[in-house]
Amino acid sequence: MAGQIHRIDRDRARFKEVVRGRIREDLQRYLASSELIGKRGDRIVSVPVPAVELPRFRFGSNEAGVGQGPGEVGDAADGRDGDADGGAGGAGEQEGTHILEAEVELEELASMLGEELGLPNILPRGRDELDACGGQWSGIRGQGPESLRHFRRTFRRALVRTIAAGEFDHQRPVVTPIRDDQVYRALKPKPRPESSAVIMHMMDVSGSMGREQKDIVRIEAFWIDTWLRSQYRNIEVVYIVHDASAKVVDKETFFHLRESGGTKISSAYELCLDLIKERYHPEDYNIYPFHYSDGDNWSARDTERCVALVRDELLSRVNQFCYGQVKSAYGSGQFKKDLDTAFQEESALVTAGVDDRAGIPGAIKAFLGQGR
Amino acid sequence: MVSGPSLTPRLLREAQRAEAAASDAGLSFFEVVFEMLDAADVNAVAAYGGFPTRYPSWRFGMEYERLAKGHQWGLSKIYELVVNHDPTIAYLVRSNSLMEQKLVMAHVFGHADFFRNNAWFAPTERSMLERFEEHARRIQEYVGRYGQDRVERFIDVALSLEPLMDPHGPQRRFRAAESRARRGGAPPGTTQVERSRASLRLVMGDEPPAPDPGQRQLPTFDLLGFVAEHAHLEDWERDVLGIVAAEAEYFIPQRLTKIINEGWASFWHSRLLTGGLLEPSELIEFADCHSSATQAAPGQLNPYKLGIELFRHAERQGLDLFRLRAVHNDVSFVDEVIDEAFIERSALFVSEQGRGGEGARIGSRDHHRVKQELLRSLAWAGQPRIELVEVAGGGRRDLVLQHHHDGRDLKLDEAAAVLKTIEGLWRAPVQLLTSEGDQARRLTANGGEVEVREAEAPPSALPSRAG
Repeated sequence: MAGQIHRIDRDRARFKEVVRGRIREDLQRYLASSELIGKRGDRIVSVPVPAVELPRFRFGSNEAGVGQGPGEVGDAADGRDGDADGGAGGAGEQEGTHILEAEVELEELASMLGEELGLPNILPRGRDELDACGGQWSGIRGQGPESLRHFRRTFRRALVRTIAAGEFDHQRPVVTPIRDDQVYRALKPKPRPESSAVIMHMMDVSGSMGREQKDIVRIEAFWIDTWLRSQYRNIEVVYIVHDASAKVVDKETFFHLRESGGTKISSAYELCLDLIKERYHPEDYNIYPFHYSDGDNWSARDTERCVALVRDELLSRVNQFCYGQVKSAYGSGQFKKDLDTAFQEESALVTAGVDDRAGIPGAIKAFLGQGR
Repeated sequence: MVSGPSLTPRLLREAQRAEAAASDAGLSFFEVVFEMLDAADVNAVAAYGGFPTRYPSWRFGMEYERLAKGHQWGLSKIYELVVNHDPTIAYLVRSNSLMEQKLVMAHVFGHADFFRNNAWFAPTERSMLERFEEHARRIQEYVGRYGQDRVERFIDVALSLEPLMDPHGPQRRFRAAESRARRGGAPPGTTQVERSRASLRLVMGDEPPAPDPGQRQLPTFDLLGFVAEHAHLEDWERDVLGIVAAEAEYFIPQRLTKIINEGWASFWHSRLLTGGLLEPSELIEFADCHSSATQAAPGQLNPYKLGIELFRHAERQGLDLFRLRAVHNDVSFVDEVIDEAFIERSALFVSEQGRGGEGARIGSRDHHRVKQELLRSLAWAGQPRIELVEVAGGGRRDLVLQHHHDGRDLKLDEAAAVLKTIEGLWRAPVQLLTSEGDQARRLTANGGEVEVREAEAPPSALPSRAG
């Protein structure tokens, strides 16, 4: 019986493969939707996969049902009035209403993304020396302090020697280790490449950046993080918002804040530069600033200031500087044109225009496609 | 008779006490074999519908994940699993307390009695364990010969069509065979069920009724059977369709009797435990366990709760409970027993989906509407009624399906996907007549594309056949 039950392991493994295949097929859709955001742990992403169910003839949304419980006509059927959620109860309709979530490792999702968009792996800039500290107590050697003696292995060697020598007595099974039998645990050094990175997301939160524009930024930031996380062992993320002035905020604020007011992009670039100088030295970090706005700036003079900051200060310190321009009803889109004109020859500065959600994959590819 | 090779002597003693109490109360069943399993293994067996030797499919893995997650998050817990079989097989969960095991055992005898004596289970094959194994072996063989991907894809196709059969078909064929055999003078058995089984064997042999070409006449609800007979398929594909159909057919009675079967088992576990099986010290734990199994989540229907309340109501009305369990499925049981007083007491209501993404609302407490809505949701095993009405003539062989619209629309996008699947199998265009609200629609799958059009006549104008 037990052996047969463990057929389930095979079917579970197959199910997981099916789910992965489905995610791979639908990656373009996930790339443009905010479904995955907020579902990410440190190593795992929960991916909702409603589509994995086989298609069947099912009743649609106008199905009434029968429920049980107190309440007046017109009240919420689940007794919790005022709330929008809660399900209708009806015998026979339970089947197929669940939405499954599949857990996918971040690493795997990143590799799907890489395949889908043809992203090259990043060659870390600058130092490629190995970081030699760390390691595991998995080695064995002949000498060492008694406190590290490997008792089991020592005993085993002594036992083998005793038996081989024909001295082992079943009636009196005494095994005495001699000096040659004794082995000790040793530290096996495990060098690992030094690779730290910092991502700096800068977003324009002035009045013209609407909800949809911020959602697009959010989705892009999610995928960029996912990819860069798979490329670097240690990664930090800094969020900066700006309108006429810039400040560092936490992730929640970054994605939900709505300010109104003017736009002075240079304020963000200055803050970015300050942070690099103070905390994220280019010798220690691979630095990835991303700036998103709808392309409106306060004045042509401020744009000049931005260009100067990027050209003279930032580009020499960072791996790549990315600017994503999200189309909005109010934005002129001038800033991208200005950057493109100023940096025609510069490959470390990448700009991308995103008209709508469908443009997200293209922008991600532009940003990450150079392998810098 | 009861046995339990993996039970402790203490539990086996309890099983024997429960059996004696059940027999004294008038329940009758095949031999019951108890098996003790760990919680994870019970989830696995449940994922296979009680038959852990079934063919490999990712869908069982998915079902397992669902059950295991529910268990892990404390949303659901499987106490027991009873398999309709001779002998009846009952899986117990090792982590249950002694009181829970006693409750579960009494519950099991309720199910065992129902499986043996309910008319809707009479046509079922009671030695399916071997047949499921045999199916798995054949499918494994096809996997070896044609490759896993190909076989798996075809099983998925077959499973998409699985609900497209007549849920009353087995019963109808069984009755027909029975009356033919009676005319032929079959040897009388001891119980009616045994007599019926004997006659079934006499007429059809030990194998289930093989689809007989020419027998299946249009119109038919048995689309799966029709396609298996008449589509241009390879032998192994035809066999896979037959396997899926046979397994689905075995489970049909359980889908038709969810409320009455669970109600019957719950009614008896409660009656037997409070009637002497319970130690006084176990009373509080029993009350806790029983009420959590028979509680309704706000606004939902719990078949255990509805079922046990219906039996208790019937008992107060002086109805013969043993007759009810022998002849009814959910639809006819609800139809006979539910009255105004019951709807009032149980606070049943019609729930309606709110507009604009709102949650369900209480739509009405009108007795007539509640009963009507409940019957409608239970009818046809809770599935949309899809009938194959014709194969278009004139050298063409388009399949024309008719959805019997009863006020509930189909999900058209999913319906379109099913039509494409059928078209792929049938290798000719497939049409579906349905409606969206008042507007008649014709969906046509042709060349892997599905076209949705307004249809000329509302489908409800066509004669509808009751099942």
